[in-house]
Amino acid sequence: MENIVEFQNISFRYSEDEGEEKLPLAVDGVSLGIKAGECVAVLGHNGSGKSTLAKLSNSILIPTEGKVMVKGMDTADENLSYDIRKTVGVVFQNPDNQIVASIVEEDVAFGPENLGLPREEIRRRVDDALKAVDMYEYRTHESHKLSGGQKQRVAIAGIIAMRPECIFFDEPTAMLDPKGRKEVMDTIFRLNREYNITVVYITHFMDEAALADRVVVMDNAKILLDGKPKEVFKNDSLLKKIGLDVPSCAYLAKELRRENINIPEDILTREEFTQSVLKLLGEK
Amino acid sequence: MIKDITIGQFFPGNSIIHRLDPRMKLVLTFIYIIAIFLCKNFLAMGTMLLFLILTVLLSKISLKLIAKSIKPVFIIVLITSVLQIVYNNKGITLLELGRLHITTGGIFTAVFTTVRIVALVVASSLLTYTTSPTLLTDAIERLFSPLKIVKINVHSIAMMMTIALRFIPTLIDEVDKIMSAQKSRGADLESGNIIQRGKALVPVFVPLFINSFSRAYELAFAMECRCYKGGEGRTRLKEMKLAARDYIALFAILACCGVIILSNRLITAPEQYSNILDSFLRFVL
Repeated sequence: MENIVEFQNISFRYSEDEGEEKLPLAVDGVSLGIKAGECVAVLGHNGSGKSTLAKLSNSILIPTEGKVMVKGMDTADENLSYDIRKTVGVVFQNPDNQIVASIVEEDVAFGPENLGLPREEIRRRVDDALKAVDMYEYRTHESHKLSGGQKQRVAIAGIIAMRPECIFFDEPTAMLDPKGRKEVMDTIFRLNREYNITVVYITHFMDEAALADRVVVMDNAKILLDGKPKEVFKNDSLLKKIGLDVPSCAYLAKELRRENINIPEDILTREEFTQSVLKLLGEK
Repeated sequence: MIKDITIGQFFPGNSIIHRLDPRMKLVLTFIYIIAIFLCKNFLAMGTMLLFLILTVLLSKISLKLIAKSIKPVFIIVLITSVLQIVYNNKGITLLELGRLHITTGGIFTAVFTTVRIVALVVASSLLTYTTSPTLLTDAIERLFSPLKIVKINVHSIAMMMTIALRFIPTLIDEVDKIMSAQKSRGADLESGNIIQRGKALVPVFVPLFINSFSRAYELAFAMECRCYKGGEGRTRLKEMKLAARDYIALFAILACCGVIILSNRLITAPEQYSNILDSFLRFVL
């Protein structure tokens, strides 16, 4: 399959104020290809460069070295930034700072309005996008009265309404309570499966990362691990060294194995864990 | 207390007032405010008040909210009324307390000023209560679009207003949170004189400003991600079209203006009422 977004050996440094010491590289020689239709989780500690990656993906930031290609378009080319942003959308951490208009549907319409679409098309896209995130019945509500999870879903709808092929989520659940977190993650997976949108989500929740098709672990501005969740989470000692953990179910399974309970080694998600425990109980 | 602020708030609904074309609403509110200051007699004032009451009823906005909108100007109304009563010595004196003369003329002017201020506030709050901020700023953008000729970027100004209105509730919440945080660390925000209390607010506003800047920064990123590049080539979700109801509303307010102009010519002003009342009282006594 073709790469929809390709980071080609990129480095990035935030520019410093005059006279200050040079800031360290936020991203240091990263090469990463995101295939169309994939669901990728990017894990990493604070300051590992993972958020910068999202901003580099649709020419909000331009790499200091190397190239980012979106469907063959170079993000450094300013003339293409408009087309690039139509292809790759970014959802940020704080929903309050992404919502432009006071009313839900007017906010979702902001993107399509910027694209200069005809009125009927905007209407259709707004309705479709709100249905996709399950917020249609809230379309005439005021955005500031919604819960955190609902606000974030409105922000996602605002991006979907532009019909991008790929969406980067920059810690979309970091500011939410567990209920909102689940709402948002369910929406993200549904977009990937039902709407066939390529999804890259940056997170520091291991349980969320375990649900992806592919996990990329970043540390110190570099990519440390990249592979299927089961392969990545095998390296639990390495993950622990960079201050990350394994998903809670994997940890629980490991502890149970230590107590000589026969449970498979590669358990990551709650689903898998329940299944194997049920199987175990059935055997007895 | 800070959550009571209703400025620029919008209460979604589907009444006829909500559905009026926002451009027309804006123009009508403007005409209404001018008209209310031209009223010189009770008939004109009554007509304008009746018009306002009808509009409020049609908008189905709860009277509680209307009362809330008047609350912040209550002090102003009180002060102006007292000043009018104390310093306006026209007409006959009803009460004399040392150097203080309460006269009919003073009372008339006080009543008129009160009604004017209240009507002004209610009319303008009704505009924001029934119009979504986006539509309101769109209307402003369109009404002022001729200013483009003199190189004023009307779109940017309108966009700034949309965002400002959108962030009012967010920032109010934030002020609340910061105040609680500072109080929990022992900050005393509620006692002392004005200067002390003003000083106590510094630790509230410093974080507020810093956060606002980082919010603005993030919002700019998010807007860029959604292909925002200024007003050129933008289309709109909601169309603005003048319907029959808009012309009816315009006709209604023009009729009210007609009443004002005619009655101002034909009926004597309240100062003169007091003269009549004056001679009447003298006749009786």
